[in-house]
Amino acid sequence: MSRSEVLVDADWVKSHGSDPGVVLVEVDEDTSAYDLGHIAGAVKIDWKQDLQDPVRRDFVDRAGFEALLSARGIASDDTVVLYGGNNNWFAAYAYWYFKLYGHRNVKLLDGGRKKWELESRELVTEVPRRERTNYTAQEQDSSIRAFRDEVIAAIGTKNLVDVRSPDEFAGRLLAPAHLPQEQAQRGGHIPSARNVPWSKAAQEDGTFRSDDALRSLYGDEAGLDFGRDTIAYCRIGERSAHTWFVLHELLDQPNVKNYDGSWTEYGSLVGVPISIGDAA
Amino acid sequence: MSAAGTDGCGAPAGGAAVTAASDPGTQAVVQGHVTQNGPPLSAGYARLLNASGDFVAEVPLGADGGFRFFAAPGTWTLVVLAPGGVRAQHTVQAETGQVTDVEVAV
Repeated sequence: MSRSEVLVDADWVKSHGSDPGVVLVEVDEDTSAYDLGHIAGAVKIDWKQDLQDPVRRDFVDRAGFEALLSARGIASDDTVVLYGGNNNWFAAYAYWYFKLYGHRNVKLLDGGRKKWELESRELVTEVPRRERTNYTAQEQDSSIRAFRDEVIAAIGTKNLVDVRSPDEFAGRLLAPAHLPQEQAQRGGHIPSARNVPWSKAAQEDGTFRSDDALRSLYGDEAGLDFGRDTIAYCRIGERSAHTWFVLHELLDQPNVKNYDGSWTEYGSLVGVPISIGDAA
Repeated sequence: MSAAGTDGCGAPAGGAAVTAASDPGTQAVVQGHVTQNGPPLSAGYARLLNASGDFVAEVPLGADGGFRFFAAPGTWTLVVLAPGGVRAQHTVQAETGQVTDVEVAV
């Protein structure tokens, strides 16, 4: 994949956002932002209500994903352009999730909702009506999703990239600093993990840094071995989806998985090794 | 309003509320409001950077221009971004058990 195949900018959205076969999708955890104003023509997906199983900790199954996309009027061959708040965390998560279920044409709006807002671009409240489709998903692509046993086996052998903030990595914070620090699990990180906060891949306006800067960040600065397989994790898997996007989609690394169980799972497992303290 | 705060990592506009479960007695809260020529600025973002200048968190400003972070004790940099290329920066000190109020005029 090259950058031009997986990222679009605001001018592209303005010119092509309403083309046939293009669907804009805003993805957020708190969809009240969409309700107050969104890019014209965009439908919404709620990260929790729509993408998570309501009972067990897992994704909606294939049939559930098919039902969701059919109801949103998205067809299997549509080009889906995702954007959202939080510097596109949830949009990047949705991108990975769409890829997990085999959607071919997915792109991110570079900079997401923040850049769009900071440029004072138009937001509307009108919710589009889209014809229902009969969406067909694929079986989950296990080559891009990591589970806990695989992560434990990867200690010291694969690249483990912890994309949380340095304070979360060290164990001083249990959640991002915009949230109360009230989680019960242990703090720290998976032994042998490198700490490359997701935010280092983004500029202040939320857009991704250049390919050269990204390659230098993960390679020269963080010491990732690009010849090895990589697993990225954070707290619940959306910030690491942002990093998965960088490594797999922008830098074309072949074997990169997102561990969506992430620290909320790992930090609660009994008997697994944990490291604390700052990165070396 | 979703349960922003405990399930996902999303940043609710204005920042998550300080509740009984997140008593400031155990938290190092940095909060405040942003105004622009007097009235509250709601179309903007507040970012928190650590002492090394690295990004730690960001929230969209609330309708009242408000923001709130749950930091750790120490020195932090607060950056406010708003349309029109507005960028303001402040240094703040956070302490456990304290709510540090920062009023920002841009």
